[in-house]
Amino acid sequence: MTAIKVENLSKTFKVKVKDKGLKGSIKSIFKPKYKEIKAVKDISFEVEKGEIIAFIGPNGAGKSTTIKMLTGILFADEGNVEVLGISPNKERKKLAYEIGTVFGQKEQLWMHLTPYDNFKFFGAIYDIPNSVAEKRIENLKMLFELEEFMDTPVRNLSLGQRIRCEIVASLIHEPKVLFLDEPTIGLDPVVKENIRALIKRMNKELKTTIFLTSHDVGDIEKLCKRVIIINHGRIVLDDSMEHLKYNYLNKKIIEVKMKEKVNLEDEPGITILKDKGYNLKIEVDTKDKNVADVIKLLDPDKIIDINISNIPLENIISDIYKNEEK
Amino acid sequence: MLMAVKNQARCTFLAIKYGIVKEMLNRVSFITNITFMILNNASMLIQWIVLYSLKDNIGGYTFKEIMLLWGLAASTYGFSHAFFYSSFKLSDTINKGKLDAFIVQPKNVLLNAITTHVSSSAFGDLIFGYLMVFIYGFSFKLFFLFTFFTITGGLIIVAFAIILGSLAFFMDSSELIADNGNNLIVHFATYPDGIFKGFVKLILFTIVPVGIANYIPLQVLINFDIVKFLIVLSLTIFFISLACLIFKLGLKKYSSTNLMSARI
Amino acid sequence: MRKYFYIFKSNLIANLQYVSNIMIGFITYFVIIFIFTNLWEYIYSNPDKLINGYGLEQMIWYVIVTEILWYATGGRKLCNKISNDVKSGNIAYNMNKPYSYIGYSLSSHMSEAILRGVLYTIAGMVMGLVLLGPIKDFNLISIPFVLISSLLAVLINILLVICIGLTAFWVEDSGPFYWIYSKVILVFGTMFPIEYFPGIIKIILNYSPVYVTTYGPAKLFIDFSFESCLSILVAQIIYLILSVLLASFIYRKGVRQLNVNGG
Repeated sequence: MTAIKVENLSKTFKVKVKDKGLKGSIKSIFKPKYKEIKAVKDISFEVEKGEIIAFIGPNGAGKSTTIKMLTGILFADEGNVEVLGISPNKERKKLAYEIGTVFGQKEQLWMHLTPYDNFKFFGAIYDIPNSVAEKRIENLKMLFELEEFMDTPVRNLSLGQRIRCEIVASLIHEPKVLFLDEPTIGLDPVVKENIRALIKRMNKELKTTIFLTSHDVGDIEKLCKRVIIINHGRIVLDDSMEHLKYNYLNKKIIEVKMKEKVNLEDEPGITILKDKGYNLKIEVDTKDKNVADVIKLLDPDKIIDINISNIPLENIISDIYKNEEK
Repeated sequence: MLMAVKNQARCTFLAIKYGIVKEMLNRVSFITNITFMILNNASMLIQWIVLYSLKDNIGGYTFKEIMLLWGLAASTYGFSHAFFYSSFKLSDTINKGKLDAFIVQPKNVLLNAITTHVSSSAFGDLIFGYLMVFIYGFSFKLFFLFTFFTITGGLIIVAFAIILGSLAFFMDSSELIADNGNNLIVHFATYPDGIFKGFVKLILFTIVPVGIANYIPLQVLINFDIVKFLIVLSLTIFFISLACLIFKLGLKKYSSTNLMSARI
Repeated sequence: MRKYFYIFKSNLIANLQYVSNIMIGFITYFVIIFIFTNLWEYIYSNPDKLINGYGLEQMIWYVIVTEILWYATGGRKLCNKISNDVKSGNIAYNMNKPYSYIGYSLSSHMSEAILRGVLYTIAGMVMGLVLLGPIKDFNLISIPFVLISSLLAVLINILLVICIGLTAFWVEDSGPFYWIYSKVILVFGTMFPIEYFPGIIKIILNYSPVYVTTYGPAKLFIDFSFESCLSILVAQIIYLILSVLLASFIYRKGVRQLNVNGG
């Protein structure tokens, strides 16, 4: 069963261009100039029911625009969108009953109310009888571990607790598809991890289809079986997580500062990116080599400083581009 | 259909209730706000005491009738701000992209967007309005009519605010224009229509609908007239429909061209 | 003195970019003047009649001038800022800076007030000339005195608002005090000249801030005489000295209170 179907979707924004200074301001009132920005260019994909799909890309890549078109906030210029067989443009309200949305950067909750009161309010918005709402709140409270702060006004909660409440609020009506726009933005690593685990559990227990946008590689690594990478409004990759992991995410970057010069050469699984004698930058392919083995090769006693990191998303994307060109 | 209306009403009622709960979190400032607003309105009557010492008829009204005019001006303003305070902040809601949260809900976007805040001082205006009814001379008929016109007038003020707020869909920096436009109603509503002439009077009964929100209702309160009563009722419905239509057009534009959300 | 002039100047430049916002505010100003014009035209059914010694046009010009002074001062914003400075502890950071907090607040707010004053004066004069035509028997000699008196009026007004804002050292919310002050100015000072009020109220108003902050400059504009000019300017200078003393007294008391409480 298909949950989301997108065909040849495009969206262009007009942005007002203003010359500097007072003269420019006056000019723009009478004769506004516009610049066209193609936010989304001819994208197509499908999402199956029950899937968790990650829609990732750097800031400004077109993620939010796409999610807005899927939820009915924006109309597409060209192309066709269907969510659960419903067109978001034509039947926004009907669709609204079937989907849930969480925008990481925008609050939907009433800040001065407790989570409990907020959930009741969302129950009313989705026409859920009080007794049913109570029962669902009880279940979601367990699932998302909200017991401690059910009666604390939302404004007094930490960001991570707030996001959990935002997610629960959007689940009161048991949506079939949940849209999460940057749910982990601004959270510290531990909380991020916790939110990811909860999202995964929710998908398993409630069978909710999850469409998640992020610019954090970690989000997809932990959560998804399938990834769509978007950049400059185009889909650059639509692939299984396994495949992506095999090709890109199994690489780590090690930066070390040594007491003495070391002689390390390229070998299967190890690529020297930079060698300045005492300072080394190494790419490790964990398929062929363990990070621990590489450190042993370097002689741990002589390491002054070490930093191990994932390959940034930007590099993965440019890598994908390079491979395409080949 | 009926069910949908009932569900929408449940939502709106809850939203307003939560708004009041929020204002009442700090009881002292809730009561101070209300008291000061009553005193505020009362202090403006000093102006009329001075004016009526010069002349006993201004714009065709006696001092007592002017007090009723002030009462109605306060209560219509109070009604609109007490329950629909966010309609006066609509341009801000639109410009900051806060509308998105309402668009994804299966309820009326406009109604949800204008019921997110309650103003406590506006309850002071409402109370002041009814105080004036008692000073003018209480009767059940007057009380009923005053309440009726408080609601119609308040809704017209809200409709006017929605139209001004919706300008944000179509142009930049409309926020200040909306603020000034909303002030217009307040200023005109607190003076009798008899002092205005010609073209301005025409404007006050059309583009800036103070005439329909305040002036005609005042005449009906003083001398009941079924024709004028029905005119007010039908024009109220007209203005509300017009506001909804303009908002709907704006929302459509917002969704299709989306000039604003590009200002990330 | 020079540093205060710099504060004034840099704030003025910063505020210049809001000129178009100030001009949108003219809409409300125009409407108020327009309503008053209609009101007075109705009350002066015979345009040559004098009420309490004033003619119809003088009454309208009176409101034009007092409303300019009102909008130029922008008291609410200032009062909020001062009391926020006190509440947030910002004021403590100002204590070890080489300028006085009051001097700083005064000069930075004056830049806004003067900018608004100039713009509203232009708007008010245009509006008055269009509605009423040139003022009869206008004495050109009065212009410098009106300007000086207006400047003093705004200065005194700002200093008094600063005093009110500083009460936040002792009370939770200085808003109600500002509210009472602004109501007195609005009701007794902007709509009618003091002569409109009966007996004892008139006498009290003659010694109140109303006389020096709104009535004075407007009176000189609509009905200039050297006698009234002298008494208004003298009263303003006395008020100015007193309000400076009062403001610094309150500030010193307040800061001491802060030290006792440990901020």
